[in-house]
Parts: sequence; structure tokens; C-alpha cells
Amino acid sequence: MKPRIAFRTALWAAQILAVLALLVPAREARAQFGDFLKKAADKAQKAQKALQPMTLEEEREVGREVAAKVVAFFHLYKDDALTRYVNLVGATVAAQSERQDVTYHFAVLDSDDINAFSAPAGYIFITRGAVALCEDESELAGVLAHEVGHVAGKHVLKIVERDKALRAGFDEAKAYAPGSAYLHKMSRGVLIKLIDQGLAPADEFDADQRGIKYAHAAGYPADGLARFLTKLDEATQQGGKSFWTRTHPPVKDRNARLQQTITAQHWEDADRPKLAGRFAAQTQKVKPKAGA
Amino acid sequence: MKRMLKLFSLLVLGALLMALTSSLGQEQTGSEQDQDKTQKEQQEKKKKKKGGFFSGLKAITGESSEQQEVTATAGSKTVGEGEQIGNAQPTTADRQAVTAMENYSVPQKDVKKFQDDGQLKPQQ
Repeated sequence: MKPRIAFRTALWAAQILAVLALLVPAREARAQFGDFLKKAADKAQKAQKALQPMTLEEEREVGREVAAKVVAFFHLYKDDALTRYVNLVGATVAAQSERQDVTYHFAVLDSDDINAFSAPAGYIFITRGAVALCEDESELAGVLAHEVGHVAGKHVLKIVERDKALRAGFDEAKAYAPGSAYLHKMSRGVLIKLIDQGLAPADEFDADQRGIKYAHAAGYPADGLARFLTKLDEATQQGGKSFWTRTHPPVKDRNARLQQTITAQHWEDADRPKLAGRFAAQTQKVKPKAGA
Repeated sequence: MKRMLKLFSLLVLGALLMALTSSLGQEQTGSEQDQDKTQKEQQEKKKKKKGGFFSGLKAITGESSEQQEVTATAGSKTVGEGEQIGNAQPTTADRQAVTAMENYSVPQKDVKKFQDDGQLKPQQ
């Protein structure tokens, strides 16, 4: 071999060895990088799973926990006849909902406040004060139909599903067991969102639109909710307590949109029953006495 | 030209060797830095365990730091009704009331009669 060729071969061999020498110490770093990638992939997979839609059973457990906290705080109003009546009106409007994979449950809360709210999976509450503010059955139907609209539109559920902090820990053993730390955190978050912060105005408008649709399809006049909202506005201006006026869009805007729909759909049915007599007979216990 | 190639090859080789030397050096320094960092973290953790900002208060009042933090939070903002409801701890009786609510159902024939009595004429 000529010395020049030998020199060149040696030079190339040295270069290849140098590259190999660089790669060998990097093996450990590569292993560490591999671990890092694996952990990142696991984390991403977990995060993706956490943001997947909840199953119906999971939704039910969250709704049940929210309902348990609501009952613990307010207590149910114990009047079998009124509970039955509210369930009859509720069942009538809920039958018109697009969402029939859940069972709608209705209950009256023992509170003077003028409120109504729904938890995931169809738990719907109306306070004694809200029932008392209604003047006829079509107004009660309008309020209950608005809450059915929230459940049908999955408004609360979508917030929960998107909230990474709320869903953290979903994969822990017994996360969905009644009273678990996970359900406590989740239901507490739902109640803060519902009552202190309020849903997005778009969700409230959507529940209004769904509500009048259900009430009208059930046979009630479509303006029951709008009439209730007008009274609610007046009542809260006179000191009545309600988170509806605090967290919901202004009544003026809501009623304007409701009226637009009623006009567009030709739902101005003056002959539809408001059922004031039946309502008065069923709700006399919660109505404030004259002069009181 | 051949000289240039040779010179270039030598330069590449030199650069590679330098890179090799520095990477080995960095690896050693890196691992030393890691060790130092871990030691510092452990020391900080020990310090935290021994007592942070609330340790003095704990010694005086006998309250835990968690209690102090909760009090501070409650003092700085009002707790909304939703939060109050969310903090409620349902009793067995409350859970039974929810179960009763779930099990409560009005027979379909009663719903139908109710609608007929009110002349509601629902769709479906």
C-alpha cells in the first residue's frame, strides 16, 4: 500500500472512530431521552383520555353528587302533592326534549330564593320561592323546560369535560364512588360554575330557545318563560334573592330573543291553556298569604 | 487541491475530537450539576418540612399551616353561595333523599290524564 493511500485510509478511519466515539457516550442520553419521550407520550395519552366525553354513567355519578350537595344545603321541600305536581309538569315538557338517554328528576327545594337549576344527567331543582313567583302552570312549565334545555344541551357537562383541572384524577381507583374526593372536587366545581360564575350567555340563550320549544310542543303557550322572567326581574329589584339575575344575561335581552322566536315560529297561541286555576290549587301552600 | 483536501480532513478530525472531549466533559459536569441540584432540592424540602412562613404561628397558636392558609383565603374574598353549596357534606339522609328523587316516577297513564285534564295536546 502506498503511504499516501494508507494515510488517507487512516484519516477516514479516524474520522469514523471519532463519530462513533461521539455516539457511544450519547447512548445514555438517548436512553434518558427515550424515557422522557415515553413519559411525555403517556402523559399526552392520559390528557387526551381525560378530555374525552364522559360516559353516561360518569355523568350520572357527577349529577348525583351535585344533587346530594344541593339537598344537603337547601333540603327538599316536603310536600308530596307539590312534588307530584312539579314532576307531572316536568315530565310533560321533558318528553319533548331531544335528549332521552337520561331520566329527568324534578324536586322542590325548601328555599325562599327564586332559583332553578339543573345538574348533569337530569337532576332538576326549583325553589319554593320560584314556584311561588309563578302565576300559572305555563310559567312553571317554562322554567322547568329551560332547565331541561340545559341538560339536553349538555351545557354543564361540556364545561366539566373541557376542564382539565376538574377532571384530573378521573382515572384513580374509585374516582366515581359516591362521596369520593374526585366527585367532591368535581361537583363543587360544577356548583361554583353554575351559581357563582354562571354559564356562558350563549348556553343560557340556547336553554331559553330549547325551553320555549319544549313548552310549546307540550301544549303550553310559548311565552310562559318570558312572563316569569319579567316577574323575576321585578322581584329581584324589590330585594328578592336570585342568582338567575346575577349570572344570567339581562332579562330584557332574553325576552327580546324569546319574542323573536315566538314571532318567527308563529307561536302566539292565545287559546293555549295557561292553567292558572290548577296551578293555584296545587301550590297554595307555597304562595305567600295575602297581607303577609 | 489535494493539500487542501488533506487540510480540510485534518480540520474535521480536529473538530470532532474537540467535540468528543467537550461532550465527555459536559456529561461529567452535567452529572455533577444534577447531583448538586438534587442535594439543593432535598435541602429545600427539609427546610420546608422543618417550618416555612407559618411555622412560627403554628408554634404559638397550635394551628396547622393549612388552617392558617384557609383563614387567609376566607379573609381575602367572600365565599359565594355556589362554593358554600359545593362545600356541603351530604349525610346518608341527604343521599337517601336523592335516591328517593331518582326512584320517584309518575306513571305514564297519570301523565296522560294530567295532560288531558289540562287540554294540553302535546306533540308525539
